[in-house]
Formats: sequence, C-alpha cells, structure tokens
Amino acid sequence: MKIAVSGKGGAGKTTISGTIARALARSGHSVTAVDADVNPMLGISLGLGMDGTERLAGIRQELSEGRGDGEHEHAHTIEGLIERFGEDAPDGVRVVVASRVDMPDHGCLCCGVSADRLLREIEGTGRTVLGDLEAGVGVLSRMEVGSLDVVLVVANPTPKSIEVARRAAQTAVAREIRVLVVANRVTGNEDLEAIHAVLGAHEIVVVPEDPVIARADAEAIAPIDLDDSSPGVRAILAISERLAAEATLQAA
Amino acid sequence: MSPTTAVRPPLWPVDMPLEPRPGGPLWLAVAGKGGAGKSVISGTLARVLARRGHHVLAIDSDPMPGMAHSLGIPEPSTPPLLMQAAVKPEKGPWRLKPGIGPVAVTRRFTTPAPDGVRLLQLGKADQDGLAPVTASVSAFLQTVRRMHEARSLYDWAIVGDLPAGPRQPAAGFSPYARLYVVVVEPTSQSALTGRRVARIARGPLGADVLFVASKITGPDDRWLVERLLGEPVALEVPRDLAVSDAERGLRAVIDAAPRSPVVHAVQRLADIIQARTLEAA
Repeated sequence: MKIAVSGKGGAGKTTISGTIARALARSGHSVTAVDADVNPMLGISLGLGMDGTERLAGIRQELSEGRGDGEHEHAHTIEGLIERFGEDAPDGVRVVVASRVDMPDHGCLCCGVSADRLLREIEGTGRTVLGDLEAGVGVLSRMEVGSLDVVLVVANPTPKSIEVARRAAQTAVAREIRVLVVANRVTGNEDLEAIHAVLGAHEIVVVPEDPVIARADAEAIAPIDLDDSSPGVRAILAISERLAAEATLQAA
Repeated sequence: MSPTTAVRPPLWPVDMPLEPRPGGPLWLAVAGKGGAGKSVISGTLARVLARRGHHVLAIDSDPMPGMAHSLGIPEPSTPPLLMQAAVKPEKGPWRLKPGIGPVAVTRRFTTPAPDGVRLLQLGKADQDGLAPVTASVSAFLQTVRRMHEARSLYDWAIVGDLPAGPRQPAAGFSPYARLYVVVVEPTSQSALTGRRVARIARGPLGADVLFVASKITGPDDRWLVERLLGEPVALEVPRDLAVSDAERGLRAVIDAAPRSPVVHAVQRLADIIQARTLEAA
C-alpha cells in the first residue's frame, strides 16, 4: 500500500508521517518511509534526532556526486537505490530521503531521481510506503492516476491551511486517489467546523492539539517515544491502525 | 565507485555580483519553515518601512497563498499582473516582453497595497495545476535577477517573502537580498530549516543573516530557539492572537491591530535592519 501525506507547511505532515510509520512498523508491517520534501525533517519524528536527520543523505546528491555504486545513475532501479541509500530508523522503519538542497554542493535537480519518480515507481506490494510530501500540491499534481492508494491531507484550523488542504484534496481526487482529511491541532468544535465547512465532502479524522507533540517537536524527539498515551499521539495511532487494517486487506 | 561525468548547471547565476554592497539598498528576504510567520512578518515589515518613508517593493515568490493578506490586499489578482509583462515566444519558455525590465515591472505590473507598497507576485497554483506558476516563473526570475541593474531602484526597500524551506534561496529566487531575515519558531523542525537556510545565505549567496525567534510565549522559548540554532537571535516576535484574528477577517494585522505586540516587534525589527544598513554604510 502506498500512502502520501500532504498539506501546508507547518500543518503537521512530518509528525503524522513519522508517527504512523513507527506505529505500522511496531505492529509488524514492513514500512519504507520516503521523505519527499527537499527540506527533509522526517528523521526527527522517526526518532533519529536533529543530528541523525542531518546525516541522512539525499539520493539525488549522492548520485550526482558520484557516490552511487554504478557507472550510470539512470541504470539504477528504484529498489536498488532504496537498498543502497536508505537508513534504518527505530522499530525497523527504512527511511529514504529523495533530495535535499541545502548542502554546499547541492547536487543536480535536473537529473537523477526525483521525489515524484521515487514515489511513483516504488513497489507498494508487500510493504507499506509512507511518503512525507513537501508543502503545497506540487508533488501530488505530478502523480498519475492510481500511483498512490491514499493521501492523508493534513489541515490545521487556519484559513490558509484549510485552503491548501482543499487544493491538495482536489488534486488527489482528480487523480483518483482516496482522500482522508486529518484535522490537526483541533482545540474545539469551532476549529472542526471551520475545517468541515470546506472539506466536509471528504472523510475527516481528528487529531487534537497536544502539548506532548509540541514538546516532542521542541526537543527533537519522536512523539511516539515521548508519550504514546497522550491524546494527540493516540489519535495518530488510531489512524495508523486503520491504515494497517486496509494494508492487510489489500495484501490478502 | 567512479565519479559521474554529469555536468551540473549552477542553480544561481554565477555571473551576478553577490557580495553585499556597503551602504547598498535595503534589500531583504524573509525565509524559514512553513508556518513560522514569514508572511506576517514580511508583509508587516513592508508596511512599516513604507510608513517610514521608503519606496517599498514587496516580492511574493510563494506559489501558495502568501503575502497579499498581510499587506492588506484583500483579493490578490489571479493571474498576477506580471503575466501581462510576459510573452511566450514560439520556441522556449515565457519571458519578459522586449524592453521591459525590473523598473517597468515595478511601476506597471505590480499590485498596489496600502501605504504605497507595490506587490510583485508569482502566479498561484489553483485547480488548473501549476500553469499560472510555470508561466510566470521565467518573467519573475528575469525581473529579480536583473534587479541590481536598476539603479533607480537603489533607494527602494525590497522585502521578499520566500516560500518555506531552503529550496528557493538555493535556486536563486531572491538574489536581490543582501540580508536574510530567517524566522524560527521554537521547534526542532523550524530550527533545522533555519540552519539550512542560513548555510545557503551565508555561503553561496554571500548574504548576511538575521535570526528572528517567532511565536514566542516566554523566556524559555527564546532560549530554546537559540539552543536549537546554536547561535543568538536578534529579536523575538511574540505569539499574538491578533495575527489569527486578522487572518480570519482577511485583514492585515497592521490595519486590524496596529498596537498589537506583533506589530511592535516588527517595528523593532525595522529599527534593527535600518541600524545594520547604516552600519554597513
């Protein structure tokens, strides 16, 4: 099964992606977490810390700097690249970073493997692929019909976040990808109504505002390691249980 | 392992003078992670500088909804006015029409905002996909990359609102900037983004960096931002409900709540930036 997480910057995509990846892996699923953001942060919410996250290599940079293991980068298979450049995160999650553009030698953005291609071509049978997308709808708009099973559209109760979520949901629907809206940082009915007013045509799950998640982000700790019984983390674990059931059904 | 022979094109124009010019214009870009408060700070800063007598060009290079609201423009024009300055040749990408340069773009193809601020906008993505963005990007890049040629803009203040993350600084969307205002809220993700943007700004772009701690609720927050960044911040901007209230009313916070803590903080930011520019001179 292939799942992508989309939404406005700061909406909580990475926290939700990392926590779901860890939870799925804990319940025995084989999980590959793809950081498709050029500003990769997924390592933090997977539990690798700030320095561990900075050490993760971007596949594009590695290839264009000649650290690939073949002579022609385009001869690589996607699976080979994940094997070669992926890293292990806690609970057995395999994490790969598509690209990062902050390195002094930033590599080439025009050749090598794009986040889009990585997500399109990665094998989703027999494992769960979880893609943490970059902010906005860019990567989603370059997906083809059927290249993802589910998009989790993360919306905070702010007008801008809801607007970006609306665009992401629309983009996913146009590509026949199922949408599950995650109403994140919800503090009450008013917040939920604001999100429902715009995104009510889709199924909505709620993740309440949670100081534990805020503290985890402040301290660069995976929320699931800090306290897996807090309301926000529990709500994300419930989403992952549901996705796990769907993945099992799909595999059967 | 064998090195590849791929030729890597530079991401920013290497022939462009990137050294900060002493006493040069007040040209700055506001950068940081999504949600850190870039649009509010950049829009308010543009208005504050305009009220202090600067000609101000606000530049919004975010293909997502951004600076227009915080400047006090209720309905941004779509497609952006910049599209009228662009032409699609038979072959090749969109470009500026012949004879149109940064000065003409600033005067004629920008949206007016209160206090005399002009807003230069990139196209916004909508349900038709990225077409308005891709079409205006070439014209946009030609404008900002030639900004330094336009002597008559040297007495302008340019305030750019960059999209989240390190991509656009690296790709040269703000080569006009002498100073990067890097906005960081007290979270590890925001701080890591701040470090990455600062690395690009100080390195390849040769710009100066000023860190702003944003959404601060107490002394611990500022301390946390400095610890996560590994360096001091120049200023803190408090978390302020006036921002979300103004956003909900589709108003600029400087209009909706001119005496709010966030507006005061941005006024102090303008003081710091003006002092730094004088120092450089």
